Amino acid sequence: MSDTLSAPAGATRRTPSADASGPARSPMRFLKPLLLVAALVVLLVLPLYVEEFWLRTGFAVAGAIVGAIGLNLLVGTTGQLSLAHAFFLAVGAVSYTYISGESGGLGTRASLRGLELPPIVGMVVGVLLAGVAGLLFSPIAARLRGIYLGVASLGLVFIGVHVLNTWTPVTGGFNGRSVPEFSLFGFTFGNSDPQLFVLGVPYREAERLWYLGIVLALAAYLFARNLLRSRPGRALQTLRDSEVAASVMGVNVQAYKARVFLVSSMYAGLSGVMYALSIGSIAPESFGLTVSILYLAMIVLGGLGSVAGAALGAAFVTALPLVFQQFADVLPLVSAPGEGGISAGIAARYLFGLAIVLVILFEPGGLAGFANRFRHRGRRPGRGSPGASPRSSGGPSPGAGPGTTVPSDPPAQGSSTR
Amino acid sequence: MTQFLSLLLNGISLGAIYALIALGFVIIFKASEVVSFTHGSLLLLGAYTMARLADPIGFLPAVLVGIVVTALAAFLIERLVINRLRGAPVISLAIVTIGVDIILLTELIRRIGPDILNVPHPWGGDSVRIGGVGISENRLIAMGVAGVLIIAFFVAFKYSSWGVAMRASAEDGEAAALMGIRQGRVSALAWIVAGVLAAVAALFLVGAPTPGVSAAAYTVALRAFPAAILGGLDSTGGALVGGLLIGITEAMAAGYQDQLSFLGRGFGEVAPYVVMIIVLLVRPSGLFGTKELTRV
Amino acid sequence: MSGAHRAAAGARDTTTRSDVPPVEVDGVSVAFGAIKALNDVSFTVAPGTIHAVIGPNGAGKSTLFNVLSGVYRATAGEVRFGDARLSAMRPFQIAGVGVARAFQNIALSGAQTVAENLMLGRHHLTKAGFLSSGLRLPRATREGRVHGERIREIAEFLDLGDKLHTPVGVLSYGDQKRVEVARALCIEPRLLLLDEPVAGMNAQETDRMADSIREIRAALGISVILVEHDMGMVMSLADRVTVLDFGRRIADGTPAQVQSDPEVIRAYLGSGTEDNPADAVAAAHTPEPTERQP
Repeated sequence: MSDTLSAPAGATRRTPSADASGPARSPMRFLKPLLLVAALVVLLVLPLYVEEFWLRTGFAVAGAIVGAIGLNLLVGTTGQLSLAHAFFLAVGAVSYTYISGESGGLGTRASLRGLELPPIVGMVVGVLLAGVAGLLFSPIAARLRGIYLGVASLGLVFIGVHVLNTWTPVTGGFNGRSVPEFSLFGFTFGNSDPQLFVLGVPYREAERLWYLGIVLALAAYLFARNLLRSRPGRALQTLRDSEVAASVMGVNVQAYKARVFLVSSMYAGLSGVMYALSIGSIAPESFGLTVSILYLAMIVLGGLGSVAGAALGAAFVTALPLVFQQFADVLPLVSAPGEGGISAGIAARYLFGLAIVLVILFEPGGLAGFANRFRHRGRRPGRGSPGASPRSSGGPSPGAGPGTTVPSDPPAQGSSTR
Repeated sequence: MTQFLSLLLNGISLGAIYALIALGFVIIFKASEVVSFTHGSLLLLGAYTMARLADPIGFLPAVLVGIVVTALAAFLIERLVINRLRGAPVISLAIVTIGVDIILLTELIRRIGPDILNVPHPWGGDSVRIGGVGISENRLIAMGVAGVLIIAFFVAFKYSSWGVAMRASAEDGEAAALMGIRQGRVSALAWIVAGVLAAVAALFLVGAPTPGVSAAAYTVALRAFPAAILGGLDSTGGALVGGLLIGITEAMAAGYQDQLSFLGRGFGEVAPYVVMIIVLLVRPSGLFGTKELTRV
Repeated sequence: MSGAHRAAAGARDTTTRSDVPPVEVDGVSVAFGAIKALNDVSFTVAPGTIHAVIGPNGAGKSTLFNVLSGVYRATAGEVRFGDARLSAMRPFQIAGVGVARAFQNIALSGAQTVAENLMLGRHHLTKAGFLSSGLRLPRATREGRVHGERIREIAEFLDLGDKLHTPVGVLSYGDQKRVEVARALCIEPRLLLLDEPVAGMNAQETDRMADSIREIRAALGISVILVEHDMGMVMSLADRVTVLDFGRRIADGTPAQVQSDPEVIRAYLGSGTEDNPADAVAAAHTPEPTERQP
């Protein structure tokens, strides 16, 4: 108690220290950047060696990573359950297709309309419109208790699918419509125009999109991670743990809920554009409740509140059915389509359902929590199951025991912000 | 006018079925603070069991077995999953029920496949006319049965020891536990009752004018969610009102489809959600839900 | 911050910041349905004083704090803090005018570190938004550094300097209580609301907290409103005491006046709680823990 406290003038002194991120003293400090660089190099040269299937899967995963990170900001970090994610994906995908797509077409397609603007404009506007949609919904979202929001957001998905089915000139209606290729300043992310060879390997659509996926996913990842480690991120996490505490500490809870809804739906919009590019066409069935639920599966499996976890979960959930399909003839129980037995998609769904239940029961931190526990084995008391210490729902969190709260990113131990 | 009355009657009968599902949804929420997303697939399970067994063992036994199977499934979900998560955040509980729902639904859809299974209701698909207003016999019976069940439920909820125990633990779980009320038992019973209600709803939901048991029945069952939310998640009376409101909305929107053509075909199926969102804008806790008082 | 002057109101020797206005609670009532949790309660907190609010369980102390911090809205009456009408403001606006609250049931984020929890207190003093934080713009990172220094000072003052990077969830109960107080201080308050800061603490921890509160007032010259059950602590610490019972103010005065007030004694004996003023009288006669000089 010998320390004294001065008047708040001290706040203007400029001495670096106690940033919110912790000290990084472990040997991991040097190892980690090295590993990251190595991983990035592997990702960059991969198109030279692997076949198209893996590259296409990779781009689909990248799109899902963007979407999952966005949903995680909302559900994991802020504790707002949303099943509307598919709706915001749809807004992004449809906007892109409409803005950069062509009018007309053959036969029944003749009624299609499109603005034929450059694809980059379509992408940016798609993201912005998804954000606007989120902002329009946010007054409802901000007023609802978490669980009411969950069911209310369900409604948005059904309304979205209805609009997709009926607004034919824009969405293509029940049959959907095809998606224009992406291009950037004259460089097309398609099979040609210009022809491209790297070390003798032809760089076609799959290879080009692969790099686009890496750039977008990485940007989405870094933005979210920075966000969580700074002022808005802390406010959001406190809001999840106790809305009352957050507001009494000066956080405008309503405004923050609206803003995180905006950011989350913009992530979804970008993810929707990437999804459209990856499939090459959009149809109502691609944006149903199932999609929202799969995104929820991603962030739960990855670990609620963890950005890296969301990325892991997205990779797992997106790639698994594709991989099952690819190896259907080798895997036991799984059969190729049309052969009877359990198809790859169904097998994957069983697994997701089971994985969600098991994760919530035994490892609420998800893959990220599991990895974290492995890294810190013996150093910290384990994160118990949510049942370990009861917590009154809705009321203020007792604060004690990370296992009782929805787990968030590890407290930055052994990692610097650089 | 006749069309309006006909739509109203059909809406009420559909709403009565929704009310049964929503009621189960609400008592689960009251007893265990869980928003059960498993409800759609539980209902489908009941319908599937009835359709499969009706042929070999007869209609009435099949219905009874269907109810028992659904109630048992609900009980098992409560014991094996929900009960182990007592005190977990509401959001985790909701997500875990989504996980269970995925497993159950995937299995049922795999079994049903693209077929439409038929539950051979003895009352068949005929319509009756009441003063010029037409309604299917199935819906008429549904209304009667739902009415009886709902009254029985409210009587039990008010006077039986289970009802009292449940209302007490919904009011203040800790105090109820101190008074010797076993929350585990209250919660398990709530799930069983919800399972029974869902199975009875299933019996009528897959009858005329609906063609039969298919994966689409799941989507129909989901419309009980807006019904429960609309009334207020913690209000049993609200579930009843919400169910009727959603049923009538759906029937009207479908019936006046031609006049509402600017909203697109099939608007009847989304109208419940639109109504729900509008109501929530005005009343964030539903029509009869209690506003949460922050305790600090 | 500005020229401090000798406080006229304080019973002890302190300097009060000139920008600390009095708190005027004026005829505040709060009703939940038919139950009146607070009934026409009035009192004034003089600038730079430690003002205790006591009363048996259910007297309305927590409700009063919820009104002061904007969590509950008063059904009648108003609360003024200088020019600010607290009773008409939302909680985050109240924090903005320098009113900080430490919660009774610890309301910290268990998974976040002490430093992160304290940083939340700087929320209304900082500006970094979603965009500048996500992009790590220089102004956002600079802000974090500058305020990090002040947080370290406050943490060290409350003996938490070595725990800045520990997740709050693994700290002891006493430490968590002190993080609560530290987080409130990080708001740089002019009025500090302490809701049972020593509840559940042992004697040693209680003494330590009492010392901290004295020192906070002495060093910062701010007003403190204290809800507390520990009578010994209240009587030795408070300049003035308001007593509530069944939502009504039954007494208001110096600790000595309140202790001898017959209505207060009746309220406490009648309700049969353990915090009996008889004990409080005894506690007041035991030698106070020596005050340490800053």
